[in-house]
Amino acid sequence: MIQKALAVARWEYLEKVKSKAFLIGLLLTPIIMIAMGVLPTIFVGQEDETTRAIGVIDPTGTLGDAFAERLQTRYTLKNGNPNYVVLPLAIGRNVNLEEAERDAALRVARGEIEGFCVLSASDSVVEYRSKVVGDFAIGMRIEETLKELIADQRVKALGLDPAIVKKLDVRLNVRMVKLSEEGKEEDTGFEKVFISAYVFLMMLFLLIISSGQMLVRSVIEEKSNRIVEVLVSSCSPTELMAGKVLGLSALGLTQMGFWAVIGIALSAQFGMNLVAPDQALLLVLYFILGYLFYAAVFIGAGSPFNTEQEAQQITSYLVLFLILPIVLAIPAMKDPGAGWIRVLTFIPLLTPTMMALRIPIQMPAWWEILSTVVLMVVSIYFAMIAAGRIFRIGILSTGKSPSIKEFLRWIRTG
Amino acid sequence: MLNVQNLTKRFTGSLAVDAVSFQIGHGEIFGLLGPNGAGKTTTIRMVLHILEPDGGTVTYDGRPFSESTRNLLGYLPEERGLYKKSRLMDTLLYFGELRGLRRSEARLRVRDWLRRLDLAGQENRRIEEFSKGNQQKIQFIAAVLHDPVLLILDEPFSGLDPVNQLLFKDILQDLKQQGKSIILSTHQMDQAERLSDMLCLINKGRAVLSGAMRDVKQRYGKNSLHVEFDGDGAFMERLPGVQRALLYERSAELELASGATPRSIIAQLNPLVELRKVELLEPSLHSIFLQVVGEPLPGNGETGGSSGVNADGGAL
Repeated sequence: MIQKALAVARWEYLEKVKSKAFLIGLLLTPIIMIAMGVLPTIFVGQEDETTRAIGVIDPTGTLGDAFAERLQTRYTLKNGNPNYVVLPLAIGRNVNLEEAERDAALRVARGEIEGFCVLSASDSVVEYRSKVVGDFAIGMRIEETLKELIADQRVKALGLDPAIVKKLDVRLNVRMVKLSEEGKEEDTGFEKVFISAYVFLMMLFLLIISSGQMLVRSVIEEKSNRIVEVLVSSCSPTELMAGKVLGLSALGLTQMGFWAVIGIALSAQFGMNLVAPDQALLLVLYFILGYLFYAAVFIGAGSPFNTEQEAQQITSYLVLFLILPIVLAIPAMKDPGAGWIRVLTFIPLLTPTMMALRIPIQMPAWWEILSTVVLMVVSIYFAMIAAGRIFRIGILSTGKSPSIKEFLRWIRTG
Repeated sequence: MLNVQNLTKRFTGSLAVDAVSFQIGHGEIFGLLGPNGAGKTTTIRMVLHILEPDGGTVTYDGRPFSESTRNLLGYLPEERGLYKKSRLMDTLLYFGELRGLRRSEARLRVRDWLRRLDLAGQENRRIEEFSKGNQQKIQFIAAVLHDPVLLILDEPFSGLDPVNQLLFKDILQDLKQQGKSIILSTHQMDQAERLSDMLCLINKGRAVLSGAMRDVKQRYGKNSLHVEFDGDGAFMERLPGVQRALLYERSAELELASGATPRSIIAQLNPLVELRKVELLEPSLHSIFLQVVGEPLPGNGETGGSSGVNADGGAL
């Protein structure tokens, strides 16, 4: 009994591990996830390498020259050259704004300058016109420089000492500190909580989706080429299903282990400690529970169909359940103890992902953990039985897809 | 070895298999015959315990089905399928293991069979790289690897070239010599006729004829005129004294009506075609089937002929 299930498990595991699709998924997923997390900050934070020319138009005549000088001296490139060369294009009360703007726009078009600022009379709005408006850095720098300049001018107008004003400028950050159950300070800030909750959700999501689909695909392949007849004459459907779930679970754990090693290595590199060991153990437990539960659901939902397309119509609804906690990540982070979040945690389809979300944010109460684990074990037991009944009939049914009514009848008739 | 009693299977509304019974002894080749859709494959699936029968019993050497009797059976399904991307040796080891073989033992046997079927040295090729005929050989190995006591072959010859058909027949004779029981399910009557010791003819879910091949043929007596000729034989269907004519390209099997003599028939044929050979024989299985069922075999008959190259069968 066990030997045949193990033979199936071994086969499923080795054949999938050796497949190109698996290798690509294994390597590509962390690369994509890292890329998604790291690349934007790299690009946004990237400094200019050459001096850029921008113009200034100031119809008020009071700020233009000082602004140009300040912007030019304030920011320098790595090689010491100024980051911006600022050309005062038209400054003074007698400036024809329309004409000056048209003229400056032509210069931009000819490539002489990259863009230009219009310090218009209407207060608190400054325009920066350029072909490229996605450059956040320049916008922020113009704002900062201008604010400082205006503040300085006002201070002077009031006859105050600029040095005193500098002292008035208070800068502070609120640091979020997470307290553990015992009230001890934990070394995890908001980013870490967010990243770890998000990373675990995504991992669980990707694993369940990819292996759930692998499971369905392998069943449907065997159905369509009729290998399944040889299989179920060699071993019982129960052994076959158990073997498949076992083999693909091992596959999922391999995948997760591989990613975990990468994750730990990376977080060590950046001096981050994503989760505490006790949390990690619990997360792995929910991983396995969720994995097994969804495996049963996928088998039950997928095995009556003859083509992947038909099966996908059903399985794609399952994906929605998996996405839900990802959508809820932000509100859950604000108030992890909220009643509705607790309620959602007790829906078996959501339990593993909700827990993966909650554990890094705030460790749920022990009774919640205990009862959800029991709930999952019971759910897995019944889901496996139901899936087994559907599987036994489903794998041999060809013809048209079964109706919901037939589904239910298959489940009832053991 | 196998005892099937009153096996019955009902599919929504219709009886697919209706109280079919037969026995197979050791060292016997058993022809399970009938047109497409007669219920052969459903019967086989129940014997293999792929389908649960609605009525009747199946015993193997007197024992009812159990997980351990599974390993006594070997099965080549009609619809051929293998894992396309997997390698030959891996695939066969898996099937061997599923039938309770240890891997080391399975490996030796696979090597043996590959040699025997001219596939030696190709253990690491992927299944999809093999020709259709070779894939069929591979599936056959999967069916016999664990040395089953009862081997069930569903349309084993369809899709095989004549050389490989011969090879398969030799192997079947070998297995028979070793005392294995073999069920040969086919709609190709002439194949079964030459190979089987026992037969069961199924039509529309019912066993219409069963017993030892020799007995069955004797029961129908020597009342068939097998003729070979040159010329157009189409008229023979309407010849007086001929109950039924099975026409092939240059030969025909004429079933004599009661009262008709070979002599009178020959006298009628002689002026119309150039006769090359005339023989009074037992009727072919094909002809017997027509007598029993009283209607032509779907997908067989005019073009089938004694070479037995027929279109491949469909479902059931």
